[in-house]
Amino acid sequence: MPAETVSARTLAAKAVQQVVQEGRSLSQCLPALLAQAAPIDRSLTQELAYGVLRWHARLQQQLQQLLSHPLKAKDQDIGCLLLVGLYQLIHTAIPPHAAVHATVEAVRATGKRWAVPLANAVLRAYQRRQTELEARADAQPTSRYAHPDWLIEMLRADWPQDWQAILTANNERPPFVLRVNTRQGEVASYRAALQAEGMQNTTLSVAEQALRLDQPVAVERLPGFADGAVSVQDAAAQLAAQLLDVHAGMRVLDACAAPGGKTSHILERSPELAELVAVEIDPARVPRIEQNLQRLGLSAQIIIGDASRPDSWWDGRQFERILLDAPCSATGVIRRHPDIKSLRRTADLEDLTVTQSDLLDAMWPLLAPGGMLLYATCSVLRRENEQQIERFLQRHPDAQEAELRVAWVVDWGRQVSHGRQILPGAAGGDMDMDGFYYASLIKRCEDS
Amino acid sequence: MAKLEILHFPDPRLRTRALPVPVVDAAIRQLIDDMFETMYAAPGIGLAATQIDFHQRLLVVDVSEEKDQPLVFINPEILLRDGVEEMEEGCLSVPGIYDKVQRAERIKVRALDRDGQTFELEADGLLAVCIQHEIDHLDGKLFVDYLSNLKRQRIRKKLEKARRQGEPDPVAEHGETAL
Ligand SMILES: C[S@@+](CC[C@H](N)C(=O)[O-])C[C@H]1O[C@@H](n2cnc3c(N)ncnc32)[C@H](O)[C@@H]1O
Repeated sequence: MPAETVSARTLAAKAVQQVVQEGRSLSQCLPALLAQAAPIDRSLTQELAYGVLRWHARLQQQLQQLLSHPLKAKDQDIGCLLLVGLYQLIHTAIPPHAAVHATVEAVRATGKRWAVPLANAVLRAYQRRQTELEARADAQPTSRYAHPDWLIEMLRADWPQDWQAILTANNERPPFVLRVNTRQGEVASYRAALQAEGMQNTTLSVAEQALRLDQPVAVERLPGFADGAVSVQDAAAQLAAQLLDVHAGMRVLDACAAPGGKTSHILERSPELAELVAVEIDPARVPRIEQNLQRLGLSAQIIIGDASRPDSWWDGRQFERILLDAPCSATGVIRRHPDIKSLRRTADLEDLTVTQSDLLDAMWPLLAPGGMLLYATCSVLRRENEQQIERFLQRHPDAQEAELRVAWVVDWGRQVSHGRQILPGAAGGDMDMDGFYYASLIKRCEDS
Repeated sequence: MAKLEILHFPDPRLRTRALPVPVVDAAIRQLIDDMFETMYAAPGIGLAATQIDFHQRLLVVDVSEEKDQPLVFINPEILLRDGVEEMEEGCLSVPGIYDKVQRAERIKVRALDRDGQTFELEADGLLAVCIQHEIDHLDGKLFVDYLSNLKRQRIRKKLEKARRQGEPDPVAEHGETAL
């Protein structure tokens, strides 16, 4: 017999509350909550948690108008359940009476009996006043785009032509993109294997090992997943290993490696490396690198250490290639991680830009003359990207920018003052990639 | 230890009548460990060997909140039944379906433990329901058999549809993009 499980609405509301009130990320808090759901409710729980966080600023604004007075701090559990209720009414195909009923039952289960009539009243009032409430939400940028004000302002300043398209793309559902492990077989044969399972997919011109599935599926259902035939990784992230342009015999450093998505892609593409060193500061994230490598049948030298202080781990031998996939605001991947909108603060950005320039400066001496450092972020903010590289080039006269070419596609993303920027989803054109930034820095040889 | 695959209704193997466990040896004890692991991961409070496609009379149960009271029943027999109780039941082999079933309120069971020693136990409430539910499995019986034909047909269709569509994966759907 199954253990007694908790309803999808209750669990989704808990996830929202942990993110919004306690500042935890969905990837931290969702697994434990999903374990309490009946297996058949897991995908609904997840859909509700992601959906509410995707539209949080908008739903919150609408809820405020439906309440005659704000809820007390100790009753935020009710507030989150009401957001889950509104989300179902607005964004899902769940029949309204079922959405209201299930939400009211979840409210009843909190033991706060006073909230049961309130929940009924709020959800029914929304149904009555839908047109008016939606129009009002559209009238203000925060609720219209469901992003915090500071981020809207920053995007508007950075991308005067594109900010609205970026905000819109951030609220779309992300595509499901695979990376075929070409050590095990060719992309074409994996395509065929997918098609044989009825999983329709398309190739992508920029990313050589990428296949985009029409429908997301559980990874266990992907042919050969457990044996390392394939991984899940957006096309934008797959460009890193291509741009790094590694050749046999090279020593390569991946300075910010966990969970090892790019580490493993580099190894899959280049079997004859002299060495690949993967550095990661967070010990809790290191097992993820190990698991990924193991599943894919690859190996690297993993070091738990601070890339900005190489003294403690570097053996003094320079690298021909360095990938610096720096910690960043992750503003390019909001469509995959809508919780970022609730978690990120402007103060984080100041810290992040300092960390990024420290990392760039610390990595530079480790690069061999003639070698390449590839700087990458999943941010769309200029201060973390081209402005960072601009200042770096001023500090390091022996650094030179190189052209970024992938496969035979010359024009991908956008050329910016330094490097190339991919804007998310439709904001970046029809390739539908995550927001990403790349810059390639070459160290001049002494005599040139 | 290993997690085992749980058979799902309407798999015909769930209809097998299990034979008595001939000897309680190391292999059986290993299987018991694997069944507990499978049950806790599900998450569940009871699992019969039939559900993991092993057709001997063996079941594991843990109805405690803390998941720290594992019980093993080998070759169980119900000695006494008393009273009637109706409870909402579900089943790991019939995922997502819950319905009311009537069973004895109190029972007395005799079985062998994991060391092959005979013991007797009186149970009521959830534990009693769970033991009866799991013993049914050993006889090839499911809780949906207590429901109307029409309901059973509907459940079968619903599960077949769910299986065809598969369940999207939490991590995969949103992609593996580290921050
Ligand atoms: C953007 S993620 C890297 C994603 C990874 N490259 C992949 O493709 O799977 C940044 C990582 O850098 C780590 N990190 C942050 N500061 C670091 C430092 N000073 N030294 C090494 N790693 C650091 C973070 O813990 C995080 O795991």
